[in-house]
Amino acid sequence: MKSLKDKYCIVGVGETEYSRNSGRTTRAMAVDAIRKAMLDAGLGRGDVDGMMSYQSGDSTPANWVASDLGLRLNFYMDVFGGGSSTEALIGLAMGAIETGMCNTVALFRSMNGYTEFRIGGTGARAAQPVRSLDLAQVPFGMRSAGQNFALTFMRHMYEYGTTSEQVAHVRVAHSKHASQNPKATQKERVTVQDVVGSRWIVKPLHLLDCCLETDNATALIVTSAERARDLKARPVYVMGVAGRVNKPRTDFHWAHGPITRVAGHYAKDIVFGQAGIDPEDVDVTGSYDAFTFTTMLQLEEYGFCKKGEGGQYVSSGMIELGGKRPNNTSGGHLCEGYTHGMSMVIENVRQLRGTVDDYCPGAAKGEHSYDYAPGRCRQVRDAEITMNLGWAMPPTGSALIMRRG
Amino acid sequence: MPEPVQYRGMSLLIPDNDSEWKEYFAHARQHTLMLRACNACHLMRYPPTHACPWCMELGWTWKEVSGRGTIYSYETVVHAIQPGFKDVTPYSVVLVELDEQRGKPTPDEALRIIANLVKSDGTTMEDAKNVAIGKRVRVVFHDLAPHMALPQFMLTDESPQGRVWQLPE
Repeated sequence: MKSLKDKYCIVGVGETEYSRNSGRTTRAMAVDAIRKAMLDAGLGRGDVDGMMSYQSGDSTPANWVASDLGLRLNFYMDVFGGGSSTEALIGLAMGAIETGMCNTVALFRSMNGYTEFRIGGTGARAAQPVRSLDLAQVPFGMRSAGQNFALTFMRHMYEYGTTSEQVAHVRVAHSKHASQNPKATQKERVTVQDVVGSRWIVKPLHLLDCCLETDNATALIVTSAERARDLKARPVYVMGVAGRVNKPRTDFHWAHGPITRVAGHYAKDIVFGQAGIDPEDVDVTGSYDAFTFTTMLQLEEYGFCKKGEGGQYVSSGMIELGGKRPNNTSGGHLCEGYTHGMSMVIENVRQLRGTVDDYCPGAAKGEHSYDYAPGRCRQVRDAEITMNLGWAMPPTGSALIMRRG
Repeated sequence: MPEPVQYRGMSLLIPDNDSEWKEYFAHARQHTLMLRACNACHLMRYPPTHACPWCMELGWTWKEVSGRGTIYSYETVVHAIQPGFKDVTPYSVVLVELDEQRGKPTPDEALRIIANLVKSDGTTMEDAKNVAIGKRVRVVFHDLAPHMALPQFMLTDESPQGRVWQLPE
């Protein structure tokens, strides 16, 4: 398998506040996030010459954002899509640099996910006619992400005996992590009873099985390992990347079973093959937790446990800070805020630098207490390798393995 | 071009050039469930796509299926996202596995269709307490316009197929 292992780095990360009332445009937020990532990397106006974003008609194009910052680009591209795009765009940015089209690429996602474009069929999107492939499900009251995925989750419970209580542990773990994260919008720790006692949205999903809707922009910067060595931040190396890997029949994936199998089944050989490691070598995971169930499904599909044993895995304490392999140490989409995946990559970059922005007074200098009580530390001790498990929908996903420099 | 069909607050649009869906819904309006069958390998497919996903052949023929099947998975919407569904919550969305062509051409393939679980009139939502994986269903049509009906599914009194399972509460 061809691999660019250790040839490219993430050198800068940045984001805006996670809120439900940004009060400004996606353009302004994107500028803010990219500027922060550039300052984080120690890059000036002349140093970033590529820019990519992903969106679904709900954001601002990359070339406008670049213009605001006075960046003259040699390459830009705006990609259609949401979840699973971050990892894929990191791979594409590496490709753009590898071909010589540009030298350093800033990636961003900027969305007013609460005040402008909410999940599902409400707001501006509700006025659009239902046509084409949407006729296969939208007329039946199946439109939001939760409604799109619930058939998969329900079948998993049927086939493997997975329970609501087991997957509730994902929310419990991520809420613990969010209680150590000053940026998180939901810092309150919750119990399994809180999750399964919250109101139904679409069975088998309770309210607390679902992630948040958030106004936010996120950004990160990709460049070559050679350039990374001269920059301010400790570089984080890309070991392997898989982008938007599909199951067969992604147009209507229920045709091809088992429907409990998700795209990681195909992505794992690509990404682990490039990196030359096994799941056992990974210290921290970052799963796309649009729902509690998506974390469970991906962890088992990527081989962190056997297929069908995801329920046991996520309820074993393994995924909590202090456990063997913590997942989403920021609180993720369930508790920190929803960003279509980029925030989990940013968190893992910070974990690998040893400078996670928790409540430890010396966090920025890498001084941590490793005390995981509420309001304290969320740095994982000696994190060397992280993995991101990106999700678009059950049949499409991306993955990224990084190591510390 | 036909006017969009107004249904539960949605505009369902099938333009004259919709070479995938127009005939499918027109057949449904005649109360027949018709799928495309490949002229070369003879396998049927759903949704009605342009090429055969098994052999890439472009030629196809509409073929009627029995409309009988089994609930393969389901979900129950309690909090409706679409305003037009709020008055029918909780309602069930079912993934129906049709009797024809199960396990072909690989053991995991099947013709599966998404619909609501409705009563025999084709329009009233079935009580959500009655939905379960394994229960038998048959198609029933909800006429929406002269050129369109929605294929929906209702419970039958046939014996279930395999284990009957419902989310424990």
